[in-house]
Amino acid sequence: MAQAEVINGTAGQQLASNGEHADPGGFKLKFCTVCASNNNRFDNPLPLRIADSEKLTSLRSMESHLRLAAANYPVISFGTGSLVRLPGATITEPNVYQFNKTSYDSIYKELEAKDSRLYHANGILNMIGRNRGVKWGPERWQDWQIGIPRLQHSTDRGSEGVEGGVVDVVITCEERCWDAVIEDLHNRGSPLNRPVHVINVDIKDNHEEALIGGKGILDLADSLNKAAVEERALNPSAFDDGNASSRSGFDERVPEIIGEWQERWPRLPAVWTLAWF
Amino acid sequence: MAAPALSVEQQISQLNDARKLVLQDANFYPQIIQGILPIIGPSARVEFRRWGADFLAETFASPHVPAQQKETLGLVVLETLRSMIEDPAEDSAVVKSVVQTAASIYPLVVRWIINNPYDGPTWDRMIAIKSRILRMWDSATIGVRICCIKFAQRVVLVQTAGPEADPKRGNPFEVSLTMVPQNHPLLAPRNLEAEASGLLDRMLGVFQENISDALLIDATLNSLSILIRARPHLANKILTVILNFNPLKQANSPMTPKLRVMVKSMEKTTRMLLIHVNKRDPQNPLAGRIHQYIERMMRSKTEIFDEFNRKRGPPEPVDGLDPAKRQKLVAQVNTSPQNRLHIPPLTPGSHTVAELFTITTDEALKAFDVAMLSEDLVVKIGITILQRINTDTLNQAVDGVRQRYQTVFAPQLVEGINPETAPLGVDDDDDDYDPDFYNAEDTEQIMNKLDNAPPEQEEAVARAPEVALGPFTLPPPPPITPEQATQIGQATVSRVFGNMQTLEEPGKKSKSGMNRLAASAYDRDAWITIITRLATRASAGLENQPEPMKEEHPNSASPSLSNTIRDFLYLYVLEDFRKRIDVAVAWLCEEWYNDQVKMKSGDDAVLHYEKWVIKVLDGIVPYLDARDKVLTRFLSEIPGLSIDVLARVKSLCRDPAMVDLALKSLLYLVMMRPPVREIALDAVEDVWNTSSDDDAKPMAAKFLTRWRPGFAERLKGPEDDEKKANGIAAA
Repeated sequence: MAQAEVINGTAGQQLASNGEHADPGGFKLKFCTVCASNNNRFDNPLPLRIADSEKLTSLRSMESHLRLAAANYPVISFGTGSLVRLPGATITEPNVYQFNKTSYDSIYKELEAKDSRLYHANGILNMIGRNRGVKWGPERWQDWQIGIPRLQHSTDRGSEGVEGGVVDVVITCEERCWDAVIEDLHNRGSPLNRPVHVINVDIKDNHEEALIGGKGILDLADSLNKAAVEERALNPSAFDDGNASSRSGFDERVPEIIGEWQERWPRLPAVWTLAWF
Repeated sequence: MAAPALSVEQQISQLNDARKLVLQDANFYPQIIQGILPIIGPSARVEFRRWGADFLAETFASPHVPAQQKETLGLVVLETLRSMIEDPAEDSAVVKSVVQTAASIYPLVVRWIINNPYDGPTWDRMIAIKSRILRMWDSATIGVRICCIKFAQRVVLVQTAGPEADPKRGNPFEVSLTMVPQNHPLLAPRNLEAEASGLLDRMLGVFQENISDALLIDATLNSLSILIRARPHLANKILTVILNFNPLKQANSPMTPKLRVMVKSMEKTTRMLLIHVNKRDPQNPLAGRIHQYIERMMRSKTEIFDEFNRKRGPPEPVDGLDPAKRQKLVAQVNTSPQNRLHIPPLTPGSHTVAELFTITTDEALKAFDVAMLSEDLVVKIGITILQRINTDTLNQAVDGVRQRYQTVFAPQLVEGINPETAPLGVDDDDDDYDPDFYNAEDTEQIMNKLDNAPPEQEEAVARAPEVALGPFTLPPPPPITPEQATQIGQATVSRVFGNMQTLEEPGKKSKSGMNRLAASAYDRDAWITIITRLATRASAGLENQPEPMKEEHPNSASPSLSNTIRDFLYLYVLEDFRKRIDVAVAWLCEEWYNDQVKMKSGDDAVLHYEKWVIKVLDGIVPYLDARDKVLTRFLSEIPGLSIDVLARVKSLCRDPAMVDLALKSLLYLVMMRPPVREIALDAVEDVWNTSSDDDAKPMAAKFLTRWRPGFAERLKGPEDDEKKANGIAAA
């Protein structure tokens, strides 16, 4: 199972370093993070909030979602698995929840009631508790109706800017999530005619790596956003020439940016493609 | 500006509020769209145009807006989209969004036109947008180009036949050629299908280029799945092209981090699409090949990237700076339309002095009697106006009135011309004037028409008693001398060539197959077809008839238009013969064809083909370098070869560097063009006989041994000398 986090930046235009909201006029990319549950630590993936498939391993995607939202990027997140799975008391008894229907809050309460000590000890309650503050509940990528307004998610962190229900960049945290996302986009048949960069950043599923991965993803988001802002600012006036081949726009710089980023983060192998919503 | 009180930020934030409103309730879209169109028009600030274009792209993509509503809204925004995209100076972010919008709108508009065949203007707008997008496809920034690809994909989807029983009828994305009636006045299914086929070829062309741009490859691959699925008859063609594509071909060059990302991306994206195809339809006829391809890719990829990982040294320096960005500073001299003063010409008939000087079209204002004002006031107003009025406007007004004045009095001036003595040969039957439009005609035409009215019709005179209407015949234009005619012809031709220069680099050629019609698109190829045919056929049979079978008078005093064009074509080809060799071939094919036709029709034809082949060849030869394949191509594609031509090639062998090229070109002819095999072999043998060059001789001998029976025996004799010579050379 994979979780992906998508950060939608179209609407939000604050810089990562800015405080809460609104640096007016600034342009921001919208992201989406998606995670697959790798189950290194937990056998089952846990979908976290943010419209990405986040799994328990969603340590990774949640980490990125939080970081991106904290940096004021518009972001949503999803999981690509079939169910939200959290480790249970034994390896054969995972806690399973349905995507889209279960809130983090109810998961939290249920687990706390089940065995507060155990779930505190293995860190699951911490994670779910943190996720409660990010969004209402785990969402499944395949059920995401791309382009349907997301106004009802306004309490989710990072929701400002993704009201339109689309994103510019999808970041997955595991290659099979990336595969699931691409496969799903093929199935949808690209009705929106909107380009989207889909990038996988392979993060090993443990706490330490999740932290590094979160930093790496933020760095990536910052680099991409910088290029996008530069493109917008390059020719603010009408002198811009749609045919000028000498200036390179955001899209064509993406491979270069990822290449440079990969040099900085050699432990996080990346895959990228340009797909369509 | 509409609301100067508000800052840009404030207005954008108002627009954002409007957007939130429609996101909440799609019923407000018609109002909001109508409301914003004037704000985001071409004259608005770039911030508003960007906002507007993004908003339109979002609106027409949104599944939240019902298709029916989108169809109606689409008609409303079409003109705005067109004006945005047709502005060559438009911001590329705006263009990008407009192209996306167009991709979403195209099926809607086609559906509308299917059901409302009378709506020509709407279809014209859509066509204008489409052709603009297809023109910028190869030249725009890559971000825009990927959207052009997507647009093309959408057009292909719409303009090809869908599966028979379409359960999703009514879904706007399911518009297909099957819905277009055969006799539709605006949409000809055959043309639409031919266009779609051409566009698909153009899309797939990206896989056949030597250097692949990952962005374009990925954008294409990721847009193809729906075509493969929804248009099964295209699947085979698409998949065959993809299966012949090697995403790893650039892996041999030094791997910069960027290239590594791109190669990896192309490989993975190709693989994902193929996996998707096989997953969806495991029974498809290509499943086996797809499976093999995927396996092979996986293996080569592992090899390449694992090796890379092992060898991976210190990170290479990243070239930080993009090529210096060029900012175009076009002086924007905009004469806005408001500055142009419209002075309606007077209708024929009598006019008062007041009418002569009245230039307003406002009826209420015309009725106003200035005499009511006191003289002082009038003077004051007059002075104030004169102080403030724009000189240009005043000049225009004065000119306009002057023109009216001349119109009114012109008849008196022409009275002197006696129509009966007007030069002969000018027919008076200019009766194709449409009287409904007489107001729009220029003065002369009006006068002329009045003159042509039968003299006994007294109303004509009664209608215009003040203008003396002598009968008048438009004098014929002065006769043009042949030199002038030639000059004008030349000017026309050079304009066409100028136009071709701007259409240079059509990039990938779309192959439209047998259905295409020559010169039906307005691209470079079309112009070349026109111009070559103008040169070869326009005057066919008119030239120098009396001198039978003569190869065109060498020193014709005044060159004919055809020969002018030929000279132009010749220079045009030579200017950049490597790129324009296809033009040369196309042209010479026309010449050859024309020669054949003329020879058939009579034996006194003037022949051009041979002369120009030699001329072109002579022009190219001095500039060839040893690795130019262009010579081989030229020789193999022109329709006829003569000994003279081959002699030129032979002579190349005098240059040791060119031996290889010349002989290989000849060998190619031997192998591929049996009709000229013998003369080509003769040429090779000639080289062998005459050449003293150490390179040429053995190579020629090798070819001859292979292709000319009996040569091997003859070779035995001189072989010893040969060996000696080679020995020395090797030493």
